[in-house]
Amino acid sequence: MLSKNQARTFFVVGTVFFTGVFFYLSYDTVVNHVDKQTNSQNMSAEVVRGKRLFDENNCMGCHTIMGEGAYYAPELTKVYERRGPDWIDVFMDDPEAMFPGERKMVKYNFTKEEKADLIAFFKWVGEIDLNGFPPEPDKGAFASTVITTTGSAAVEEKPSKWSLCSACHSLGGSGGNVGPALDGVGNKFDADYLRKWISDPQSVKPGTAMPKLPLSDAEREEMVEFLSKLK
Amino acid sequence: MKYESQKVSFWFFATCMLLLTLQIVYGFIMGFDRIGLDVLHDWIPFNAARATHTNLLVVWLLTGFMGAAHYIIPEESGRELFSVKLAYIQLISLILVGVTAIIGFHFNWWEGRKFLEIPRPLDYLVVLNVLTFLANIILTMWNGKKHTTTGIVLVMGLLFAALLYLPGMIWFDNQTLDSFFRWYVVHLWVEGVWELIMGGILAFLLIKLTGVDREVIEKWLYVIVGLTFLSGVLGTGHHYYYIGAPKYWLMIGGIFSILEPLAFLAMALFAINMYRKAGREHPNKLALYWTLGCALTSFVGAGLLGAAHTLPQVNMYTHGTLVTAMHGHMAFWGAYAMLVLAIISYSMPLLTGRKIYNNKVGLYAFWLSNIGMLGMTVALAVAGIAQVYLERKYGMDFLAVQKEIEIHFVVMLICATMFATGIGLYIANFIKYGGPVGQVTEEGDNYFEEAVA
Repeated sequence: MLSKNQARTFFVVGTVFFTGVFFYLSYDTVVNHVDKQTNSQNMSAEVVRGKRLFDENNCMGCHTIMGEGAYYAPELTKVYERRGPDWIDVFMDDPEAMFPGERKMVKYNFTKEEKADLIAFFKWVGEIDLNGFPPEPDKGAFASTVITTTGSAAVEEKPSKWSLCSACHSLGGSGGNVGPALDGVGNKFDADYLRKWISDPQSVKPGTAMPKLPLSDAEREEMVEFLSKLK
Repeated sequence: MKYESQKVSFWFFATCMLLLTLQIVYGFIMGFDRIGLDVLHDWIPFNAARATHTNLLVVWLLTGFMGAAHYIIPEESGRELFSVKLAYIQLISLILVGVTAIIGFHFNWWEGRKFLEIPRPLDYLVVLNVLTFLANIILTMWNGKKHTTTGIVLVMGLLFAALLYLPGMIWFDNQTLDSFFRWYVVHLWVEGVWELIMGGILAFLLIKLTGVDREVIEKWLYVIVGLTFLSGVLGTGHHYYYIGAPKYWLMIGGIFSILEPLAFLAMALFAINMYRKAGREHPNKLALYWTLGCALTSFVGAGLLGAAHTLPQVNMYTHGTLVTAMHGHMAFWGAYAMLVLAIISYSMPLLTGRKIYNNKVGLYAFWLSNIGMLGMTVALAVAGIAQVYLERKYGMDFLAVQKEIEIHFVVMLICATMFATGIGLYIANFIKYGGPVGQVTEEGDNYFEEAVA
């Protein structure tokens, strides 16, 4: 039967050995792998400032990044790819305006530069080799998205601030599913209606979840023209 | 109780009760946020509630460990505590630092790194504080009349826990490195050195409560902590799968972390076997309930529920979802919260001289809190699994998924109410014990020693 001395030896030898292996692998990870996997050459001053802002405001206290955080708000690893810089920039000014009546986010009043830093950080994080995380959804198993490509939409150039729309609406099968799909929207509404709708959604349909987007007059005209052509 | 100075642990335990209450309040705030009742958002946004909830957990558990050490180490060393005054100074300063940190969270003052949110200037104060505590404990032991394995394992656990706080205080610009070394603290605490503390306290409780020969208990203590480090150290790899670290961690983390339940299984078997070996029953039934409950629940919560999502193939989908929160709740409850409640239940009758060993309130406290926590864990599990399928498998939008799973948080809140009622009863008993005016006796608590002699 095992004696107390043997038990102690098992504990001491096992611990020392596996701790040694762990330190060696940690060393190898830090020295030989992390720079390559994280593209550390792309870590500009902006990215680093962005990370500090991310920490100083405890963004991880609601969101997750690289899967780590608090599960209360969306995963941000691929947010740059998913939303695009324009959308993030507009969103951070007034998060609740973008998702009225939904789960709330603190309004941080970031300056233009701070927002740029955060966006640079998100872009850099999105490019890290995370061994396949986050997994690609298995869309085939959930084939509810009917893909309808309208003639013109497929070929025509998207308006410059399109990412603000596509975060919630889909077109030709790609985009968000918060608002209705925009395929054929030109058949339903004319340019005047669309202009009024985009300028101030609440005046057209009080209580709607559609936010008032901060578009310049030129950008709005470009959008209206594009949408009214979706037939 | 054998030594007058053991009485300081009463104040540590009282602090535990206060912080635990506050932790539960913040848990409720988060639960209500999740079902859309977020009226406190402007004053206590979710990230403040979350940081407060988890940091209070860590602080009250550490306070409990410190209280346990102040009770156990004099007895295991055969002398009074090195300095009672130092112990009070240390406790008061710990509370001050903790309260400052928590108030700071509400004013956006933090480091924003999961579990290590305490801002840097306060980190230094924490280090100073813990050094004071360790000095007091180690000096007590150093000049002690005897050096027992139980005492040494407990002190080693506390010492390494303090050392492992340091990697969390290095600044990294790279998110991956930041995360990599953050887990040095968080993982190697809860799945490493805290288990030494757990083993030490459990061994002490079992020696006292079962009367089984110390040599036998301490032999198994070595086996258990040996298994802990055998699996737990390289098991850290399960945090390195998807954070930008190399691929070999998938294999290493997978293999070693699937072995992690072994240590908890050994702990559970050990506790139950020692209990069975006991010649006769110790009168302190409540302490026995919490001690055996801790050993069993930690195996389920920390061991099995951890293993459920630790393999990289599974973790790819569950990483960063409520499945983690599910495991977290029952693991911390079973392994560490119940452990602190066990040592409190054991020592309070001796500290206060009031023998509350087996009353209704105490039994209801045990069952309500445990069933409540089980219910909360199941609610989180259902929510987490639904989230994995809807969001990760089918690609539904995050907020749309959260709407779908809202109902499970209603269930969680109901179970949390049950849990909180249990804790309320536990605290009612704690208050009933009264102040630390217990008799110091020459022989201490030697319920079994006379039987042996």
